Amino acid sequence: MELYKKTAAELAEMLAAGSCTATEIVEDIYAQIDAVEGQVDAYLTLCREDALAQAAEIDRRRAAGEKLPPLAGVPIAVKDNICTEGVSTTCASKMLENFVPPYSATVVDKLRQAGLITIGKVNMDEFAMGSSCENSHFKKTKNPHDLTRVPGGSSGGSAAALAACEATLALGSDTGGSIRQPAAFCGVVGLKPTYGAVSRYGLVAFASSLDQIGPMGRSCEDVAMLLSVITSKDELDATSTDCAHRDDYRAYLDQDVAGMRVGLPKEYFGEGVSQEVQSAVLAAADTYRRLGAEVVEVSIPSTAHALSAYYIISSAEASSNLARFDGVKYGYRAKEYESLTDMYVNSRTEGFGDEVKRRIMLGTYVLSSGYFDAYYKKGKAFQRQLCCEFEQAFAQCDFLITPTVPTTAFKLGENVDDPVAMYKSDICTVTVNIAGLPALSMPCGKDAAGLPIGMQLIGPKFGEDKLLSAGHAYEKATGWHYALPQIG
Amino acid sequence: MDIDIRHIAKLANLKIEEKDFARYQKQMQDIIAMVESLPEQKDFDQRPDPADAMELREDIVKPSMPREKLLAGAPQVEAGCVVVPKTVSE
Repeated sequence: MELYKKTAAELAEMLAAGSCTATEIVEDIYAQIDAVEGQVDAYLTLCREDALAQAAEIDRRRAAGEKLPPLAGVPIAVKDNICTEGVSTTCASKMLENFVPPYSATVVDKLRQAGLITIGKVNMDEFAMGSSCENSHFKKTKNPHDLTRVPGGSSGGSAAALAACEATLALGSDTGGSIRQPAAFCGVVGLKPTYGAVSRYGLVAFASSLDQIGPMGRSCEDVAMLLSVITSKDELDATSTDCAHRDDYRAYLDQDVAGMRVGLPKEYFGEGVSQEVQSAVLAAADTYRRLGAEVVEVSIPSTAHALSAYYIISSAEASSNLARFDGVKYGYRAKEYESLTDMYVNSRTEGFGDEVKRRIMLGTYVLSSGYFDAYYKKGKAFQRQLCCEFEQAFAQCDFLITPTVPTTAFKLGENVDDPVAMYKSDICTVTVNIAGLPALSMPCGKDAAGLPIGMQLIGPKFGEDKLLSAGHAYEKATGWHYALPQIG
Repeated sequence: MDIDIRHIAKLANLKIEEKDFARYQKQMQDIIAMVESLPEQKDFDQRPDPADAMELREDIVKPSMPREKLLAGAPQVEAGCVVVPKTVSE
């Protein structure tokens, strides 16, 4: 039946109808992992035994006539910076190589309550810092559409596992584009929710004012189903809120786009954005026009400076958040040291990779005496300005459409020695995190080499239902559905 | 712009090896050049947006995580305590 290729919505229907079991699904997913993981390298940990036991339990309950949540029995991959009690959570870092959390993240508890089956923990850039998954201490994940190319990052393992049908759903985290950029590179769908929509409790912090956990899948419907499971206010995360929370985002998928106004922010179609990407996104805007939406040009003038503000704010917060990794209470401790300070320095120097050290040092620099006003304070002022510009844009339209990334997936190794070139991959996505908005990345075509192109739909705060319905309308209008590429 | 990498690394509790020094210096300079392009902003208002106000929990005593469970991940433990090098001289 090739259950591993099915969407979550299809599997939910089959499970409810009794035409397959959770055990069959999980076995099929592991068979696919056994077949392709050697080439894709998406997973850091597999939870085969626990997943099969959980599947058997779900089958037993369903057979006993219990009414289970719609996604009960559907397999999911979890990014390795989301704490899973009793299952290693490494953040793809030597620093946390042996870390087994004593508790689970709120989202992980919610997955379990909803009966989703965690297949394993997936690779990422170390501490979510990177755009290619090449910063992982353990392995380099490949793009299933072309194994010589990166899957994007930092949630590259999540996107690659979905693209290779090694998982039906996935959780990622997004601080500057880490869900959307890999979703675009791998031809899958990823949503960065509004800041506060999903609890961050148990997500290893990178930049606390920007981080969000979000759902990924192979269709907008699947992403809507997973979002319904993970959103809600959580008393363990003071920034979480249930403002505009929807119990079932799938119920909003059929909102009509006719009569909506779609904004094209001109700054996202300029220099550096490949012609093929621009054409594909503009063609998607035309699809919305054909569906009865009005397409209007808008402007977010500060876009050009967003990358600067992003690296100031995110690195400053990272330098503070990552100060906790000192070899004392958990994580890596150096073997050789003489004093306590020595132990801190040696543990951090040996435990962190290059990119993490660069960001910690950048953050330390912008927060250091004499530079705070010149950098961090200016970055926060920029944040306010950018929020105002988005508010003005949303006064003229319902959502914005832009490229997710200026190009399609680049080659492994292409940008590793040039951090600034690597950072530019996030130019279309960072504004969303700075302004705390929701944004969806979904496929909108392929380039001449057959690599997926992603478009980004950006909405006003808590406008996830609108974005998902717009994405769903596009999928229906174009007859799009995910096709598993030939791997290798 | 000249950045004192050794000083920054010291503040960050990191050590940059001599062989890596030039590479870090160049990369940090490139990154700082990029972030320096941020223009001056006027009318900066640092007050939080009331719509984003955080709600704090009631301060209630509740059972916490068992000590052994927390210490299970510590690199060195003795008699229920984390062991670190001596910090006070006699």
